[in-house]
Amino acid sequence: MVSAIETERLTKRFGSLTAVDHLSFEVGEAEVFGLLGPNGAGKTTTIRMLACLLSPSEGSARVGGYDIVKDSLRVREIVGILTENPSLYERLSALENMDFFAEAYGISNTQEKMNRIRELLEFFELWERRNDKVATFSKGMKQKLAITRALVHRPPILFLDEPTSGLDPESAKGIRDLIERLSHQEKCTVILCTHRLEDAEKLCSRLMIIRRGRSVIVGTPDELRDRIAGQPVLEVVLKEVNRSIIDAVKKLEQVGAVRFDEAKSSLMITLNDAESATPEVVKGIVGVDGKVLSVNVVRPSLEDVYLKLMKEGEEN
Amino acid sequence: MAMVVFRKDWREVSRNWEVMLPMVVIPVIFSVLLPIVLGVIPNIVNAPGSSNDLENLIRNLPSSVRDELVGMTPQQAMFYVMSLYLLAPFFLIIPLMASSVLASDSFAGEKERKTIEALLVTPISDSELLLGKIFVSFIPSMVLTIVSFAIYSTVIDVLSLTMMNGRLLLPNLVWLMLIFGTAPAVALSSIGLTVMISARVKGFREAQQISVFLLIPILALIFGQISGAIFFGPLTVAALTGIFVVIDLLVFYTGLRMFDREEILSRLA
Repeated sequence: MVSAIETERLTKRFGSLTAVDHLSFEVGEAEVFGLLGPNGAGKTTTIRMLACLLSPSEGSARVGGYDIVKDSLRVREIVGILTENPSLYERLSALENMDFFAEAYGISNTQEKMNRIRELLEFFELWERRNDKVATFSKGMKQKLAITRALVHRPPILFLDEPTSGLDPESAKGIRDLIERLSHQEKCTVILCTHRLEDAEKLCSRLMIIRRGRSVIVGTPDELRDRIAGQPVLEVVLKEVNRSIIDAVKKLEQVGAVRFDEAKSSLMITLNDAESATPEVVKGIVGVDGKVLSVNVVRPSLEDVYLKLMKEGEEN
Repeated sequence: MAMVVFRKDWREVSRNWEVMLPMVVIPVIFSVLLPIVLGVIPNIVNAPGSSNDLENLIRNLPSSVRDELVGMTPQQAMFYVMSLYLLAPFFLIIPLMASSVLASDSFAGEKERKTIEALLVTPISDSELLLGKIFVSFIPSMVLTIVSFAIYSTVIDVLSLTMMNGRLLLPNLVWLMLIFGTAPAVALSSIGLTVMISARVKGFREAQQISVFLLIPILALIFGQISGAIFFGPLTVAALTGIFVVIDLLVFYTGLRMFDREEILSRLA
């Protein structure tokens, strides 16, 4: 994996508070990497350090090959950032905002600048409102314009802090599709801070859950599920469940635990390998005259993993 | 890049009447109302006690200026001294007052409006950002000062045509040195310091309250001129310009050394 971002024991202290505590991770080129954690976990502080807005108290990081302390100007040139607040000039129009940021990011050619601004504003359906003051925009429109600003200079590395916050479902899907396109087609590396586990699950190739500035776990969404919430469970819904069916299932070699859910008239069966064992389980149930209505492999959701980790953290 | 910051800020502030109104009102007072009052004062110069005041004022002037007054009536002398000498330091206040709101708003306003993070994360260098913020206060305030001077000169010359037997008083060398040398140098020092204060406080009001103290040296010059302790002749004006140019360089150097994006961000309103 070619690293676009590398951090080594990255730490940030504000007086006696350690907001980010010896965080080490790597993000590969064109990867969408999720940062998950509760409020105050250190996600935004991490992004601010990587974008050279804050300097680390300890440790180091390289973004696009540049050191965030020694080459901060170069880092700022190659990253696009969506901050917690839209950070837009409300007395200026959408076009004037974009004009300023395009020039601030070094796009001096007027034609190139206007083409890029138009392309982005049209994509986000803001072109018709380009001459309106940002103060008149809805929260969702401001969020879209802030994302437009982050993309104006075609940054190879993007930091997105809650990109779908304040957006309607359709717009949120548009943003998710855009992030996927940026990663797959334009090979853009994305660090995504989000509370929306649904977004993280759909978009991120890997995730890091942080709590109190420390990394709790890093891995792909599947790895996290397997490591934290255990193996997938086979849910078999039957017309009727009786003792002989349960005993028959328990006798099968690949079956671990069996739980009976009376309300749903189903069996929740823990398997070592759901893919290969499922036909044997169904065969065993049918063999004792069980009437199978449906069979589902139930994987724990990322939310289950996240909540379990947070609960463990509180208990510790 | 400094001009990119300037254009953006100017677009913003030019649409804000709370900023523009004081910027325009102050120069109007100095360039129109004061000369008109000047035209009235010589007419009351014969009022009881006033001739003694005039004599005291003239006695404190350098001999070179006293020589210029030879042959003038008391009214003409009063008009001549006040229009050419006593009001000169007031024109150092115009750029300071006009720029005060803009300079105080430079970083503190961005913090209040929560736009500072997006600005600080751009690849605009510290010096370009600082210069851009200084320009947006300096350029409009100097334009206002020059326009005020042009209006003041016109009003004074219109008055002097009748009062001084057709003689035109302005512009002269000292005033040109003052407006195009001392005023910009003084303004840059004040603006530079105010921008630095603005970067280190949470809000615009706080920055403006602190920056009021920067008027004290200029007020000292005004009282010095009135009391006769300082006289705004060519040498004094040239020396003042030189001193303030050195202060400007020190302020910009210090401002750049103290410019810390993290520090600015840590003081969000």
